[in-house]
Amino acid sequence: MSNSTTATIETEEIVESYSLLNTFGKVIKKESLKNASIYILEKAKSIVFACIGLTIFCGFWSLLSYYTKDSLPGPTVTLKVLYEMLSDPFYDYGPNDKGIGLQLFVSIKTVLLGFSLGSLFAIPFGILIGASSFFKKVFYPIVQFLKPVSPLAWFPIGLVVFKDTGMATIFIVFITSLWSTLINTSFGVSTIPQDHKNVAKAFGFSKWRYLTKVVFPYTLPHIITGLRLSISVAWLVIVAGEMLSGGAGIGFFVWDSWNALSLEKVISAIIIIGFVGIIFDGFFTMIENKVSYKA
Amino acid sequence: MSYLEIKDLEISFPTPKGKYIAVRDINLSIRKGEIISIIGHSGCGKSTIMNAIGGMLTPTGGSVVLDNKNIKGPGPDRGIVFQNYSLLPWLTVENNIFQAVDSVMDCSKAEKHEIVIKNLKMVNLFQHKDKLPGQLSGGMKQRVAIARAFAINPGVLLMDEPFGALDALTKGSMQLEVLKLWNLNNREKTIVMITHDIEEALFLSDRIVVLHNGPASTIREIVTVNLPRPRNKIEIVKTPEYIELRDHLLHLLTDHFSIEDMGVTYKN
Repeated sequence: MSNSTTATIETEEIVESYSLLNTFGKVIKKESLKNASIYILEKAKSIVFACIGLTIFCGFWSLLSYYTKDSLPGPTVTLKVLYEMLSDPFYDYGPNDKGIGLQLFVSIKTVLLGFSLGSLFAIPFGILIGASSFFKKVFYPIVQFLKPVSPLAWFPIGLVVFKDTGMATIFIVFITSLWSTLINTSFGVSTIPQDHKNVAKAFGFSKWRYLTKVVFPYTLPHIITGLRLSISVAWLVIVAGEMLSGGAGIGFFVWDSWNALSLEKVISAIIIIGFVGIIFDGFFTMIENKVSYKA
Repeated sequence: MSYLEIKDLEISFPTPKGKYIAVRDINLSIRKGEIISIIGHSGCGKSTIMNAIGGMLTPTGGSVVLDNKNIKGPGPDRGIVFQNYSLLPWLTVENNIFQAVDSVMDCSKAEKHEIVIKNLKMVNLFQHKDKLPGQLSGGMKQRVAIARAFAINPGVLLMDEPFGALDALTKGSMQLEVLKLWNLNNREKTIVMITHDIEEALFLSDRIVVLHNGPASTIREIVTVNLPRPRNKIEIVKTPEYIELRDHLLHLLTDHFSIEDMGVTYKN
């Protein structure tokens, strides 16, 4: 098996054989087995290192808890509360007493809604600004001006316009989701190599073909990076937003737990928020790797 | 009137320091089916002339007339092979060619696919049709670029230093590949190529256009290559005509440097 493979490879050009090796790596069994063991070893190593970091972190946490004479709950107490919260996440005892799963569900729904609306607006607008120097001159100053404004400052405006706290929260997530996506998209579009433009020009690509076969595929990795940054900030903002809006969501849960003086719940919520953040980020990193191409 | 007529061509670019003239007074008549090489030092405006023929640049003076039509922009009557292949890295080999064919040709989807397959087979890349350009070697990428340019069935094939980035062996086989395609088309395709390789120019062309050094470069001489076809690379280099032409071209391209060197005294 492996003998005949090498024989065919020898007749091909050298560079080609390299790509063959990469594409059909599984043909050569010894190599792939070795690679798999290296991969597992690397994974195990990184898990061990992460555990070391976690242990150090929990050590400091315990120290701080000891120093504040347990007014800051330590890791074990908190984990116990977290376990209780997670063991019954979907209970609903009226508007002020809902399970963590339901609260999380509300927050994720709000973030995804605001984020989707923001992205639907930011991507085409980013393409427009990146493609046309006129639009860039007109709109980029506004983008730069509004970008550093804390999204929470938009909350009152959302309230006035929509007369609804839920809508106002979606609105601030929408605003938050705009900037990174818009800026990354426009950067991507404005850096399309002349080579690619020449191809489109030489072979008379229509506007639509140019957009779908050159602009969009070239810009896609930039767009995904923008989306990844946007959803991270959106997830940051939702907690603060729900503290303001109240009623529901993980942010409201944090604030409500603080008012009920249950710091264990507050810290548990922080842990959950962190995990959801990692999942969002991981999801977009995965897509990022999928859409990146080799020049 | 000849097939491709370049008349009093001038191309200049506006710069902050004023007008920069790249080329001027370019006059060239090219017959149908002729292979023309443009040769000259870097920055002498070779690519500028090619871009003017391709319609990628608008001349600031004079005209380029192809088949009695003034060239105003890129068109399906000219296929361009770019210096650095210029394949779209996110499209498969097949799709790279298909997008060009689909954009230019006016026929059914099935016919378009047939054209793509035919051209892929012509450059022996059919079994690699589903690969991405990133998985190909330089020579293979260039073959895709050539297949793409041929696929739209242009009257004129423009090649900007097509083999410049290839190693000597691959280069040799690619030159043969181009001649093969040219012969397959009954030598009816006009080929204009840029090169800085004298041997390549002599092996492929009917005439070689030697340019002066830029800026504001003009044609220095048009050398006719009367070597009989088919040319055998090993045999023709021994013929006195070849040697004479090569020496002449070498002289045209290098005396500029020799004159400058005369003013410099070498101290040991």
